[in-house]
Order: sequence, then C-alpha cells, then structure tokens
Amino acid sequence: MQTKPHFAFFDEGSKKEIRRATLKAVAIPGYQVPFASREMPIARGWGTGGLQLTLSLIGKKDVLKVIDQGADESVNAVSIKKLVQYTTGVALTDHTAEANIIQSRHRIPEHPLREDQILVLQVPNPEPLRKVDAREYMTKRMHAEDDYSGAWLILFEQIMKYGKMTTGAAHPVYVNGRYVMAPSPIPRFDNPKMYYSDALILLGAGREKKIYAVPPYTNVESLAFEDYPFSKESFKGKQCKLCGAEEVFLDEIINQETGDRTYQCNDTSYCMERLNSAQEKEVESSYA
Amino acid sequence: MAIDQVHDLQQVYRNMLDCMARPGTITSLEQKTGLFEDQLSYNEAIFLCALTVLDAEVTFYIIADTDKGDKLAELISSYTMARVTSIEKADFIIVLQGDIKEEINKALSICKMGDLINPQQSATWIVETAALSNNGGVTIHGPGIKESKQLQTGLWNEFWQTRNSKVKEYPLGIDLIFVDALNQISCVPRTTSVKLTEVG
Ligand SMILES: [Zn+2]
Repeated sequence: MQTKPHFAFFDEGSKKEIRRATLKAVAIPGYQVPFASREMPIARGWGTGGLQLTLSLIGKKDVLKVIDQGADESVNAVSIKKLVQYTTGVALTDHTAEANIIQSRHRIPEHPLREDQILVLQVPNPEPLRKVDAREYMTKRMHAEDDYSGAWLILFEQIMKYGKMTTGAAHPVYVNGRYVMAPSPIPRFDNPKMYYSDALILLGAGREKKIYAVPPYTNVESLAFEDYPFSKESFKGKQCKLCGAEEVFLDEIINQETGDRTYQCNDTSYCMERLNSAQEKEVESSYA
Repeated sequence: MAIDQVHDLQQVYRNMLDCMARPGTITSLEQKTGLFEDQLSYNEAIFLCALTVLDAEVTFYIIADTDKGDKLAELISSYTMARVTSIEKADFIIVLQGDIKEEINKALSICKMGDLINPQQSATWIVETAALSNNGGVTIHGPGIKESKQLQTGLWNEFWQTRNSKVKEYPLGIDLIFVDALNQISCVPRTTSVKLTEVG
C-alpha cells in the first residue's frame, strides 16, 4: 500500500511545533527558541534548519527561491528546491522580486526585500557565545543575564592581535538592544541589511535545534568599538566584470596563468537580471 | 466542518506570523463556516487560531462568563488533543467576550511569563474583541512597527496597564493575539510599547 506524502513533507503536528517556536522567536527578537528538530532527507549541516522553517511556512500559492552562497543553481540549493517542490508543487523562481519565501545560505540577496517577503536563513552555528563557553547551559545563562563581556572580549582580542576585527562571516549583532545574535555566516557586507528590514527574517539551525528571528523594522547593530567601528568588506573601485555592478558583494577571481584579478557579483541572479535588462535596453535602442 | 487542516491552517498561521511580526497590523482570515456565530456564539477566528497552534503538547485555559467557555474547551480539546489546565500553568489563555474584567485582570497578573533562561515558556493570549481597527485606541511602537500605529481593541485601560506591567521585565512577558467578529486578527507581542491615549 502506498501512502500519500504529507503536503510540505511534515505531518501537521511537526509543523505546529515549529510554528509555535517561530511565533515565540518573533516575539523575542534574537533569542534562540529551542525546537524539536526533525530528521530530514538531506544531510544535517546542509540547511535542515532553514528547510524545516520553509516547510512550516509554505502554502500552495507561495513562490520559492533558494540560494546557496549567492547561487540558485548550486547542488545544495537545487536539492532543497526539489524536496520542497516534490512535496508541495509550489512555483520556483530565481528572481528575488518574484519570490515570497527566500531560503538562503551565506547571503542576503542584493535586490532589496519587501514587506510581503520572508527571508529564511540557514544557520550552522546559532550560538554567538560558543567560543566563549562550549557548554550550552553556560551560554544560555549569559544570554539570560545579559552578560556579553565574553563576546566583546573576543572582538577586543582580535583587534589587539590583528589591528582589526577579523570576524569575516557571522559578525555578531545586537538585536533590539537586548540579545547578541549570530546573523548566520553572511558576510559583514550583509549585516546592515538586517537593520530595519522591510522583510521578516527567520533563522533556523537544524543540528543545534534552534529557531530565532529578526522582525521587520527592528534595530540590529553589529558589535563594534567606538575607536574600532564596524566596517563592511569594501569593494571600492571594483566592479563586476559581467554586469558592471558596484556597491555589491563581489567574488574575486584570480587568473591562474596571468595572476590578474577580476571581480564578479556573488549574487548570480542579481547579475543575470542586470545583464538581461541591459540587453533589452540595447535591443530597444537599436529598434528605435 | 469545512476546515482543511493542512491548507486552511497554513494560511491562518501565515496571518498570525505576519501579525506577530508587524504588531498592530490587522489581517483577515478567510471565513470557513457561517455556523459558529449562531451555534456557539464566539468568533470563528478564535477557533481557527486555536486549531493552528494547539495540540497534545500544550495546555490552555478559557476565560468566559457563561458555559460557552466549557463548550469551546471541549471542542478545542476534541479537535487538538490540547488539555485544559490552570491559569498559572496554561500555555494559551483564550478569552471570550463577556462580563469578565475581574477575571481577566487577575489572569494577566498570574499567568506564565517565562523566566530569564526560558522566556519562551510564557502564556500566549488569544482574545476575542468586538471589532479591531487602526482608528483610535492605544498607540503602539516597537519592533515590527515602522514608526507608530494606533490599535483599537475596545479593551479597557486597566487591561493595558496590567499588560504593561507584565512586560516590564523584558524578555519576560506575554504575547497577545486579538480576533474579532469579522475574522480579523492583530497581535501585540511583549516587545510592543503600548501607550494609553489620553481621554478628553
Ligand atoms: Zn554582476
């Protein structure tokens, strides 16, 4: 006998539990709400937290976009899309503006998000204080006591050692002036996009069984010192060799033979959209 | 009953999530049956919200001034397997309209508000009101609200005063979901700052 698969993979009981945790996460911005993370048919560490959020959210009318490190076509993004589409039949898109649920790993899209969109971020390590203490009950207590001296100390040590903050991805943020939160491994370039975002941002960590959130129009500040202010990765004077974009997050490409450095948009669908619209303009003007 | 447990409740959840993320925003749930109003004399939205978030893992308590509270409790329990418990222990507190000011104020002060280690272990309220609107009422601001908003719930000032003292020690507190006769819902989580509007 064959049983019909559940819509959106999960039984309704599993969805309810994730939904309750998500509502609490939204009500306590930046606080990691524990939930009973489920076994998923993709490997842990490959976005099971984000996937569980997406499955608890999605309905027949939704349009889904999944990106991995800026790319819609990466193996990981494609396998997540396949699973969601197989169990829901929802429409998929590469265009950020067409999607109302966007699941992402390592990036917030370049295209500004809107109020009617939800961004789901996959999180491998949700605990910003894990380097301060390996024990969960200790980090939970630090959050409870608003004791973030350890997080500050780590940043301070980096400055002492390297003359700057070397967090790279996942630079911690203060949410609503209360909780220090790991924004997931997005580059510092994307941190400011969380500040007063139009879209709701949900973060899911499958292995660590945590859901947390940044509601829209919420104060999100990257940790920094007065004399060592927070700074994004700078691409000053550089532009995408394909679409010419500036002020976006660029990947550096080094030619093995010549050693020449070129740059390319990390957000591939953004780059494609710019190329296509440039082409359309060209066609229009040649017919004019 | 014409409620699709999968697709209808998914939409109710998205409405609830949208409202919780954007306090004071009022959204409408699709009408699922015209029966409830006559038969059970409470808003359908109360039942839809309960179906969406309650199951055997959680407990609830109903505040009502007539036996319609008991009937609703029975209905919710039979559909969701959620158990009725005391005000102090309830994960969800459901309030029906009626002459129950005293009981509500008492429940506000004694219901769960979480602790610093687990602030999520707090009561979520689902409160029936006559009509929700963004004209008049209390002035709210905080996360999820672009600048500020007005929210009219028809609830008395003391309700908001007691609620405000319940959320003084953020992150401890309670989250409120309001529903009305038109199947509209709106939320006020613990992060929302609520100012009573001066009366003339
Ligand atoms: Zn480009």
